[in-house]
Amino acid sequence: MPPRDSINGLPFPTLAHVALSTKPSAIEREVMVLFEQFRDPLLRYALSFGIPVHDAEEVIQEVFLSLFRHLELRRSRQNLRGWIFRVTHNLALKQLYANQKLHAKTASDWTIAEEQLDPSPGPEEQLSSAQRRQRLLAIVHALPEADQGCLRLRAEGLRYREIAAVLGMSLGAVSISLTRSLARLIRADGR
Amino acid sequence: MLSEDLHVSGVHLSDQELLRAADGELPTRSAARTHAHLAACWSCRARMAEIEATIADFARAHRQTLDPQLPPIAGPRALLRVQLAELASNPPASSWRWLSQFTSPMRVAAFVCVAFFVAAVVGKLLLEHSTLRRAKSPVISSERGMEPDPNLTPGATRRVTLSDVCSMAHEEVVAEVSTSLRQEVLQEYGIVNAHPDDYEIDYLIAPGLGGVEEIHNLWPEPYTSATWNARVKDALEERLHELVCAGKLDLSTAQRDIATDWIAAYKKYFHTDRPLASHFVSNL
Repeated sequence: MPPRDSINGLPFPTLAHVALSTKPSAIEREVMVLFEQFRDPLLRYALSFGIPVHDAEEVIQEVFLSLFRHLELRRSRQNLRGWIFRVTHNLALKQLYANQKLHAKTASDWTIAEEQLDPSPGPEEQLSSAQRRQRLLAIVHALPEADQGCLRLRAEGLRYREIAAVLGMSLGAVSISLTRSLARLIRADGR
Repeated sequence: MLSEDLHVSGVHLSDQELLRAADGELPTRSAARTHAHLAACWSCRARMAEIEATIADFARAHRQTLDPQLPPIAGPRALLRVQLAELASNPPASSWRWLSQFTSPMRVAAFVCVAFFVAAVVGKLLLEHSTLRRAKSPVISSERGMEPDPNLTPGATRRVTLSDVCSMAHEEVVAEVSTSLRQEVLQEYGIVNAHPDDYEIDYLIAPGLGGVEEIHNLWPEPYTSATWNARVKDALEERLHELVCAGKLDLSTAQRDIATDWIAAYKKYFHTDRPLASHFVSNL
């Protein structure tokens, strides 16, 4: 017997029960596989925009629901990774603007996380390691948005072609941006 | 050339070359040259080590800063599974549901007026469009394949310098045409129900030669043409890119030749009347 609606006690099965009682389609399974593979990199990328974790999680859910609709409509399957990151980029940016409208300034989770130290080194090394990391991140934060985007997408393993597609830049611009950012980081680190 | 590159002289590799080599983003031939240089040059190897160490530092900082914030995946996974199942079991709402909002007679009258006006405008446009389509139906010959219609696809370029064009290998600057634009181009040429593998929506003037992704520079090029097909044109684009970057051909001449008659341009630049065997892959 199907479960009753827990709120109204009506003799109807809940929507979730109906939905889950059927076998997932091939597209649903494919989306779940991609979710397992890309959820963490996408969540990191969304968080790097400075939106709160719960907003970033919602963005990722929306990305994979959009992916389901995209695949269901038999749209292009070429460069799905680039497509997923592009949608995440757009939705995270939209969320950021919406949050900025609500609050003049949202406290960035990034800053909170910067206080968390890497547990592996000893206390003195830990301090210096954390200070170095903070300095490095401060330099990254001071970079133009497109340069930050290139660095973060590259850190998530995207190729130049994919980064170019996500950020709407040319391949040459991606290459120049990454080179410029790294040169700046090297110089600031006094290497 | 970048002002912040430390190694910009002709003797050493630039930071950009080093980074692209480290990232595996150099074309095969350049990568081999770069690795040979690195094997012989301590200075460039030391600079490469600095770049790699900075990449490692940034990648570590990126992960250590963000990873502690990531909640466990189990909850979001379960939520997504339910949402997907709901989406799959609920087809989109009926497109007639919106009619229910027209409850007032005034709204109904206004809607009918607007609908008449829209129908008249659309009908006129369709009539003009179909006349145009008949006048401009694509030219297809069994050997030359479908040629770009100069009225629909005259070619379009952006302002580029030689260094823009030559800073990347040809194959790296060819962008994929978006699905919506692809459909527009097929419709413009009166092609319906095309199989995705039958046509390449090709740039008349390739991006590597300054061509842009817009409808005036795109046309449906059949892979299945007997002789002069998309793969042969790809070879021409690569050849022109090489000649331009080697200083043996003006960029504007290359753009004009390929836009005017790409088959004639192929014959001219490969000194042949037929596609070379290495370029031509028969689909028949």
